[in-house]
Amino acid sequence: MIEIKDLKKCYGERTVLDIPYLKIDENETVAFAGANGSGKTTLLRILAGMIKKSDGTVDVPEKILYMPQQSYAFRGDLIKNITVGNSQKEKAEELLEKLELSHLTDKKAVSLSGGELQRLSLCRVLSRKCELLLLDEPTSACDARGAELVIKAIKEYKNENGCAVLMSTHSPVLALNSADRLIILNGGRIEADGRPKEVLNNPGTEWAKSFIAGWKTDA
Amino acid sequence: MESFKQAFELLFSLDKELLQIIGVTLRMSFFSTTISCLIGLPLGALIGTKNFRGKRFIKKLIHTLMGLPPVVAGLFVYILFTHYGPFGSLNLLFTVEVMIIAQVILITPVVIGLSSSFIESASKPVIETARGLGLSRSKIVGLCLSEGRSSLFSVVLNAFGRSIAEVGAVSIVGGNIQWKTRVMTTAIMLETNKGKFSFALALGIILLLIAFVVNALASFIVKENADD
Repeated sequence: MIEIKDLKKCYGERTVLDIPYLKIDENETVAFAGANGSGKTTLLRILAGMIKKSDGTVDVPEKILYMPQQSYAFRGDLIKNITVGNSQKEKAEELLEKLELSHLTDKKAVSLSGGELQRLSLCRVLSRKCELLLLDEPTSACDARGAELVIKAIKEYKNENGCAVLMSTHSPVLALNSADRLIILNGGRIEADGRPKEVLNNPGTEWAKSFIAGWKTDA
Repeated sequence: MESFKQAFELLFSLDKELLQIIGVTLRMSFFSTTISCLIGLPLGALIGTKNFRGKRFIKKLIHTLMGLPPVVAGLFVYILFTHYGPFGSLNLLFTVEVMIIAQVILITPVVIGLSSSFIESASKPVIETARGLGLSRSKIVGLCLSEGRSSLFSVVLNAFGRSIAEVGAVSIVGGNIQWKTRVMTTAIMLETNKGKFSFALALGIILLLIAFVVNALASFIVKENADD
């Protein structure tokens, strides 16, 4: 279970995240949406231990995996990229097959396209076990087919491992098709929180309504 | 032109003294660069990847030491190893070993400063990705060094360049003794003082040739590894 109380992140006078209370169950998949600078990445980075919070308490499980927004290609081929720091080669091959990258196995990771590299980054985290999976915009560089593969892989991983999944996204498709819960952030505060379809149909605040209106157009 | 001719004549004549001077120069530069890198690269990686109290002060101190005048380093080592100094009993003054020690003091801050700056800026995505996978600090440091090995190699070359071209510290602690501690730079200085400018220039050309060959070899090795 993840429990956040009075969480704040400030840069000088500027508060970029302000969450009084948030509880996420251990098997829940939560999508965080919101405009640029709404605090999605900041929240994930605090939960991952990448940056320090300014105030409040955060209770998270011990084993956390985090996939950053910017995908990085290590030197070497795709298998070497996935097994970096000791994960299993068989698992890596299985994931490459699942994310339709197996035909590129012998290629250098630096030669991949943005969408391919993002799927490779996902393979890298999904080849390991965790209690909390944090994904920062996991489909931002993917085309429709790529996004479909990512969604499927995340669901399968969750079913196998029974972990909580938290992801930030600008994609209504990802939120609707993979999340149990959708939280909309605005200026670091929670504007709407509920089942994705409920939030889309009844966003609550005026700001959330206008944000969702834009999303519906995208979808 | 006369100097170029003299330089090649000296090289191809396989003059015993010249070969001995080149040997001492390469031995000193190799060991001082190796020791400096063994100390400096891990420290640079640590400073570049870890945030700790006093980091800014340490970086300022290292940047100051990067500009340490060679004669000051030489004087410091001389005082330490002179007969009445704390390490006088080791009888290392006017040996190649003490020249290496002086150069390590000079070069290590350069290695730490350059490698930490590189790792701090260029390795951010490596660190974030590796930390996201829950890798240990030692594995993250290893990954940073491995991912940035081309750039770190240029740090090593920079250290070697500083070592082979250095004259102030080695002349103070080495004494420029013929057949013992004379290196290319101190030999050039001696010949210049004697007024043999042409010969000094020939030695300078040979020094440049050595630096060029070492750099070319290193670049070749880096290029071979770049596609790994």
